Amino acid sequence: MSCRLILRSIYYQCKKNTSFSCSSYIKTRFNGLVQLELRNFSTKPKSDVTEKKHCNVGTIGHVDHGKTTLTAAITKVLAKDGLANYVSYDEIDKAPEEKARGITINAAHVGYSTKLRHYAHTDCPGHADYVRNMISGASQMDAAILVVAADDGPMPQTREHLLLAKQVGIRYVLVFINKADIVNDEIIELVEIEMRELLSDFGYDSDGAPLICGSALRALQGDPSEHGVPSVQRLLDAMDEYIPRIVRDVTSPFLMPIDNAFTVPGRGTVVVGTIKRGVMKRNDDADLMGFGYNIKTTLSDIQIFRKSVPEAIAGDNVGVLLRGMKIRSVETGMLLCAARSMKMTNHYKANIYFLTRSEGGRKKPVFSKYSQQMFSGTWNIACRIDLEPSMHMMMPGDHGEVYLTLLEDMVMTQGQPFTIRENNVTVATGIVTETLSSVDVPKGKLGKVELKLD
Amino acid sequence: MKQKVQTYSKMIFQLIRRIHTSPAYKAAESSLLAKLRKKTGYTIANCKKALEMHNNDADKAETWLHEQAQAMGWAKATKLAGRTALQGLVAVKFDKNHGALVELNCETDFVAKNDKFQKMIEDAAIASFKFAHTKLQAKGPITKMELDSEQLGTLHAEGGKKLSEILALFIGSVGENAVLRRAECWKANSEDVKIAGYTHPAPSSSSDYSSGKYGALLAYKQPNDVEDIGRQLCQHIVGCAPTKIGDKEKDKPAKNSDDETCLIFQEYLLDPSYTIEEILQKHNVEIIDYVRFSCGEVPESCMPGVEKQPLETVQTLQ
Repeated sequence: MSCRLILRSIYYQCKKNTSFSCSSYIKTRFNGLVQLELRNFSTKPKSDVTEKKHCNVGTIGHVDHGKTTLTAAITKVLAKDGLANYVSYDEIDKAPEEKARGITINAAHVGYSTKLRHYAHTDCPGHADYVRNMISGASQMDAAILVVAADDGPMPQTREHLLLAKQVGIRYVLVFINKADIVNDEIIELVEIEMRELLSDFGYDSDGAPLICGSALRALQGDPSEHGVPSVQRLLDAMDEYIPRIVRDVTSPFLMPIDNAFTVPGRGTVVVGTIKRGVMKRNDDADLMGFGYNIKTTLSDIQIFRKSVPEAIAGDNVGVLLRGMKIRSVETGMLLCAARSMKMTNHYKANIYFLTRSEGGRKKPVFSKYSQQMFSGTWNIACRIDLEPSMHMMMPGDHGEVYLTLLEDMVMTQGQPFTIRENNVTVATGIVTETLSSVDVPKGKLGKVELKLD
Repeated sequence: MKQKVQTYSKMIFQLIRRIHTSPAYKAAESSLLAKLRKKTGYTIANCKKALEMHNNDADKAETWLHEQAQAMGWAKATKLAGRTALQGLVAVKFDKNHGALVELNCETDFVAKNDKFQKMIEDAAIASFKFAHTKLQAKGPITKMELDSEQLGTLHAEGGKKLSEILALFIGSVGENAVLRRAECWKANSEDVKIAGYTHPAPSSSSDYSSGKYGALLAYKQPNDVEDIGRQLCQHIVGCAPTKIGDKEKDKPAKNSDDETCLIFQEYLLDPSYTIEEILQKHNVEIIDYVRFSCGEVPESCMPGVEKQPLETVQTLQ
């Protein structure tokens, strides 16, 4: 009881003393504590989600087949309804090179919305640009629109375009058969058959993928005939329908990276973070993992916005009271997950891009056994990079698959981004592609690790 | 039941209508077109034109297409000639006394991954390599020949075709601009001069031909009884991009070792505790010359001005 009084007095003291710059910070913290003390149980406040869902798309295809014209046409058609700003062909074509996380990407980003969703549209000219775009995390494409001109049909490099889509993890491909106004129906039919064959060759849904015929140029000119504006409208409808809504994963075991931790006197340790996936219920068994430690615990209490709740779902920012946990054992960057759902390891496969000299990267190439500090999420750790055995070296500007070996076991999930810094300068950035089984680091020396790479 | 009957009758009706409106010969025509296209790979518009010209005779259409391919390729190549092509590949082919380094450019790196493109650069590398077996001999230890895109195009690939003809065919088939950018053909004039080459990314097994984004050719002298480090030195040149060999008396090492541009003062890439100079002494190597290509490094307009002279007289003496 006396403890509660002391806490309250501190809380009100802080509330009075608003001139402190950090007072609001303390206030929220203590607010949380006091609310916890009062055991103010309530359900999660319901908010009406009226904002449109977001979706990333991109155009791929041959240089002359009308990718840029189509992008311009889409914005023009939607601009009539006030859903986009019209971006002309020249503006897209001459888009300034973009710098995302210090990496120069030769890409144009255009935004527009349909009745259902908001889209971010990427138009990159080359393979390397797409890969860099993905690795730097500028935007992960959910779907691609493959543009093919009806008079040429699929070209030899269309295979390369689809291969790229597969490599960067695009799961949905829509086909826009451009220039359909200058050929007859038989030819369109033939292009359609060839495209469906190609799609099935690369493991895409060849029967279900929408195939839209039209003319981007006519749509851009505002032609109301079948191949003009309506064709772009059909494409947008197909995008709304075919690309599934990205739903938060609530079925997998829960996972929460720890942003912060503090002690509530008399109750225990509270960890704060945003749930990445799954549902968290009170009294669930959990593991707290990271930096080589794996501590078993139970979720005694879960709070959202200072209100105690029986469960929380992916996307919620929560504070969790952990049973029998010492604040000393919690470190920022650890991960709280459902008991026995995740494995910790210090060995990963990743897709990496080395920044060029002009982007502030290294001047010299990188060899295997390259050891530097790695940063990901809220933590950093010493890390060793090994190249594929077939690679002799990687030049700045190269991208490829590498093996990561961390000094301590950590939990990283597929698709997790990271950067490598050398003398406080970012030299590389990448994403995790595969989790491998742990390797032994003799006496904490990464240089002495023996890797068996196949 | 009623619904079923309705859908069936609808289907039958559609079928009949289809037979009426699209005569059978048209269906046959489009399947012919599909076959021809699959066989030849030319654009749909051209395949259709070929069939129309030869009354749907597939064999005749095919021969016509092959005959026309060269002309169509030239036409396309002329049309696309103004477009910048800065992607592509650098290839190297060498033996102990001869070497060739070739750069071939295209518009997008998708094309560079194409099998046809890789075959074409191999043809170009082999043709340049053959060209290096010239009877001409310069005064110095090596005979060097720099070829620009026009001169490179006049070389003959295996099978007697000119490289420029192969290139035009390729442009016709992919519909993007491609350029035979430049080549460097070397011949060692004495037995003790060796030539080595390297490209990055390197193939897993070392061979006399490879292609990549960067390439280097090196001429050096080294006695046969010490370990040959030509390939490693080439790798260093690709990795560290020195601008000149450097002279110990005239040049001074840069203050920051990272900014060093003289080859001999640079830290050895494979073992940074040594400089190149120390490595050369240790292995008893004398570097005579080197050349390094980085794909797309120079736009067409700033290429070294080799005067437009007939190929037979092109020769750079040392």
